[in-house]
Amino acid sequence: MKSLIIRKLIVDERNELFDAQGMKSVEFPSDFRRVREYAAQVLKDCPDDFREGNLLEQQLSEIIKNGIKHGNHCDVSKTLRVWYDLRKRARFIVEDEGKGFTELDAWNEFYRKRQTALFQEDFDSFLALASYRGPQSDDTDGGNSLVAALEYWNGGMIYNQVKNKVGVVRWFSGGSDIAKHS
Amino acid sequence: MDWMPIPTAAEDEAELRLTGDFDLYHAPLFSAFVMGKIETGWKTLLLDLSGVGYLDSTGVGSIIRIAQALRKKGSKLRIRGLSGSPRRVLEMSNILPLVEETH
Repeated sequence: MKSLIIRKLIVDERNELFDAQGMKSVEFPSDFRRVREYAAQVLKDCPDDFREGNLLEQQLSEIIKNGIKHGNHCDVSKTLRVWYDLRKRARFIVEDEGKGFTELDAWNEFYRKRQTALFQEDFDSFLALASYRGPQSDDTDGGNSLVAALEYWNGGMIYNQVKNKVGVVRWFSGGSDIAKHS
Repeated sequence: MDWMPIPTAAEDEAELRLTGDFDLYHAPLFSAFVMGKIETGWKTLLLDLSGVGYLDSTGVGSIIRIAQALRKKGSKLRIRGLSGSPRRVLEMSNILPLVEETH
């Protein structure tokens, strides 16, 4: 039997996902043309088992893109900082210099309606709600990256109080495979 | 990303074969092209994604916009050749119910 799954973006300043102790970090200028290049750079020493084809790179790119575009408004004088730890699991903290994801509550409400329409097989409503359109959305915003992100980051996706910093974790199945990276 | 039209039986039934990365740098141009075609005549569309190895949320957004436009014309977007991480991305975005997969 199918079930209605409604996840939420959460704000928790003191969450352990923001503990950067032992993590490596790198800073990038907010150049929109280089979003994918930055993600590839962070992942250059990533274990192959974590990559899942290019899925990890794609999901990290989405977070980097959000910080560069919505946080720093593609201002190359502004910095995007990425902390990363690829031991045992893929864990990142991404911080921009912006005012934060002020639409977080509106997005949660959008997501609740979207998932409900899908659960009720109301495809016309679901189609209308498939993409989130906020005040700053444009053609390069698919409006759905956070939907996939909430599923992909299976160890959590947490925002800080200002909402300009997000911590994410993905654990991988196959414990014995993972152990060799520890 | 490049796209190539595949000949079809009728003018308003289109098929496109995509190759490359369906991403934030290519999807907006592709969207604009297809939306223009739907406005001026296309009633159905089949996208062959067998040559697409990378799909991101901008690409997914493009697929959604096309599906919405075709819905207004009374048809459902058809997709063929979806595999690997592009399939995972569409699954995680819950978009597969909006399209019809063909083989």
